[in-house]
Amino acid sequence: MTDAKTLTAAASADDPRTGLRAALALRRLADSLERLQVLNARRKGWSWQEIAEALEVSRQAVHKKYAKEL
Amino acid sequence: MFERFTRSARLVVGEAVEIAQAMGHQQLGSDHMLLALAGQPAQATSQALTEAGVQPERVREAVAARHRTEDVDDEEALRTLGIDLAAVRAKVEETFGEGALDGPRRHRGRPRLSPEGKKTLGLALREAVRLEDHYIGAEHLLLGILRAGGAGHDVLRSLGVDVAALRRRLETDRAA
Repeated sequence: MTDAKTLTAAASADDPRTGLRAALALRRLADSLERLQVLNARRKGWSWQEIAEALEVSRQAVHKKYAKEL
Repeated sequence: MFERFTRSARLVVGEAVEIAQAMGHQQLGSDHMLLALAGQPAQATSQALTEAGVQPERVREAVAARHRTEDVDDEEALRTLGIDLAAVRAKVEETFGEGALDGPRRHRGRPRLSPEGKKTLGLALREAVRLEDHYIGAEHLLLGILRAGGAGHDVLRSLGVDVAALRRRLETDRAA
């Protein structure tokens, strides 16, 4: 990371626009990873209940979100 | 409002919805409408577009590229947190293969009209009114796309189209 980039990052650290945009990007990344691993878990024979517990959500929630993809 | 659309204009909008859905885009904008118009060989509008130098394949590429820049924005945004998205993606792809992380970025389900798309349809109506036509046809849709100055207009500009000339051409065609 160049000094210019570090400076820019520091300067924008408390700017809500930057921060919210980063939160959005992180949420999209988290969604991508979750989906990837849920499908991976199902392929390996995990039950919806086991997946739900790992994600700390209800079985219904995870089933509703992903069942149609499988 | 759709009751004042000609059958072909309705088909264009329907086609635009399918295009956006096929491309996995969440919102339907004037760029999808433009692509739908460009791909209709028998229409006067697609003829005007062809003669303005617009090729459907180039439009498709431009529309796809516009929606991909979201990825670049995410990379930059995550960099502000010290997260290297490219590195994360590479790590995941080591295990799961190329494009493994791209799944949910593809929106599933019916795309919804973006604010810009709504504005474009409203402008198409206004064009029809302005030109004293009692219907909204494909040509008014295209005029609306040009006037909206949004995604579709930007795609045309990026392809080097003289938008003002195209507008004049469409208006004269109508008068004929």
